[in-house]
Amino acid sequence: MSREEGSGYRDVPGPADDTGALVSMPEGLERAHPSVPELQARFDEAFLRHEVVAGDEHVVFVAPDRIYPVLEWLKTDPDQAYNFLSDLTAVDFGGGRPIQIVYQLYSIPHRHVLRVKAEVPLTDLEVESVVPIWSAANWLEREVYDMFGVRFRNHPDLRRILMPEVYAEGHPLRKDFPLRGRFSRAEQTRRALAQAPEDYYVPSDFGPGRDFQVVGWQEVGGEPVPVKEVATKGKAPQPSEDGSSGAASGDRTSS
Amino acid sequence: MSDKPIIRETPGASGSGLPGGIFGEGTPTFLTTKVDFVVNWARRNSLWPMPFGTACCAIEMMASAASNNDLARFGMERMSFSPRQADVLICAGRVPYKLAPVLRRIWDQMPQPKWAVSMGACASSGGVFDAYSMVQGIDTIIPVDVYVPGCPPRPEALIYGLIMIQEKIRGESLGQHSRHRAEDPADVGRPRADAAEVTALSGPFGNSTNQNRASGLVPGIPTVRPGDRIP
Repeated sequence: MSREEGSGYRDVPGPADDTGALVSMPEGLERAHPSVPELQARFDEAFLRHEVVAGDEHVVFVAPDRIYPVLEWLKTDPDQAYNFLSDLTAVDFGGGRPIQIVYQLYSIPHRHVLRVKAEVPLTDLEVESVVPIWSAANWLEREVYDMFGVRFRNHPDLRRILMPEVYAEGHPLRKDFPLRGRFSRAEQTRRALAQAPEDYYVPSDFGPGRDFQVVGWQEVGGEPVPVKEVATKGKAPQPSEDGSSGAASGDRTSS
Repeated sequence: MSDKPIIRETPGASGSGLPGGIFGEGTPTFLTTKVDFVVNWARRNSLWPMPFGTACCAIEMMASAASNNDLARFGMERMSFSPRQADVLICAGRVPYKLAPVLRRIWDQMPQPKWAVSMGACASSGGVFDAYSMVQGIDTIIPVDVYVPGCPPRPEALIYGLIMIQEKIRGESLGQHSRHRAEDPADVGRPRADAAEVTALSGPFGNSTNQNRASGLVPGIPTVRPGDRIP
């Protein structure tokens, strides 16, 4: 594999030998990241530390209570313009260590990559939602909430996304979660068959334009049931003159 | 002429004059065996599969229906994407617990008589996915007639499994079928078996028995064995 000439990435070290181990850049030869010094100067109290891993991947650790202004500045400042959120995920290293929330950013205008991390302690798994900055964070934050139990303040629709809505065994990707779950297989099977998916999802859930919002939860027969509020604004099927497109959109939203 | 009757009269039989009625229990008679033969011949040569493909097994299932292997040669003329018109459910691929009620409802929607094929290691036993999210064999959800091993099975294996279904139909009798496969509406949406049987069916086996999350990576967390879990 040869790198393209003139791409500016020829000096990035690759695997040194057959062992596949990555060689870290010698001290002082690391290429400075264009955003990191400015970020450090601007958010001195929130800037915790800076690491370079795997050769040239810059990681910035930010205080979790200041993550929103830092990311907002990275998105809106014209010199940074990280307008593409590649990924938002979390890592649990186990042993009671804090959970790392990872924001993988890409700046399409400047072609810069930056990884921002926030470490939240297991006792206080809460961080500000970045959905107002990048809409792409919506489902990613729901996934982190589902798998790790991290709550995102001011998220528009924070509920489970992968596991069933009535899942009661916890957050599966946490290191203290047993591999096969907390309940026996018989109990898991019973609960799986007792769930009523149509109570929690409508067909439009899987396409653009949900026609209801979950505004709260209530207890019915010992099981949590969402309280839904139908959002009719602009969602009602508008029959066209010949009625064909109106019937089609009516099919999509009826459950 | 012999006075041995062809059809034996049984006292107390129903008005048909046959033991236990035309399709009833008792010794198979000339009439019922012939009816069985004709009905079974029709059934086994027009099996419409309901494809429930969730993973890589579904690719092999599609290959089975395509020109090279041509499932239509054996009467599976048409993949029935509506369970109401299907005869045999082919569950091809892994089934997570979130999908279990969907699989169960599709099975409940299929009209009698119906058969089920569990295609591949994941559908039959959970396969390598011995984890919190995965059904450990769809026989905890629905009754299964034929298990096709493989990861994924080749189209030949699936066709062999469906021929085994045909052989099973050949040996069936109408009375038998309605007796063995009668459905109780109260069972809809419930596990197929009781808790002890589901646990026995879906327990870890082989090398999987000694594997768990707390395998030295996380100090201080006790090992969770399957027997330690909350019932």
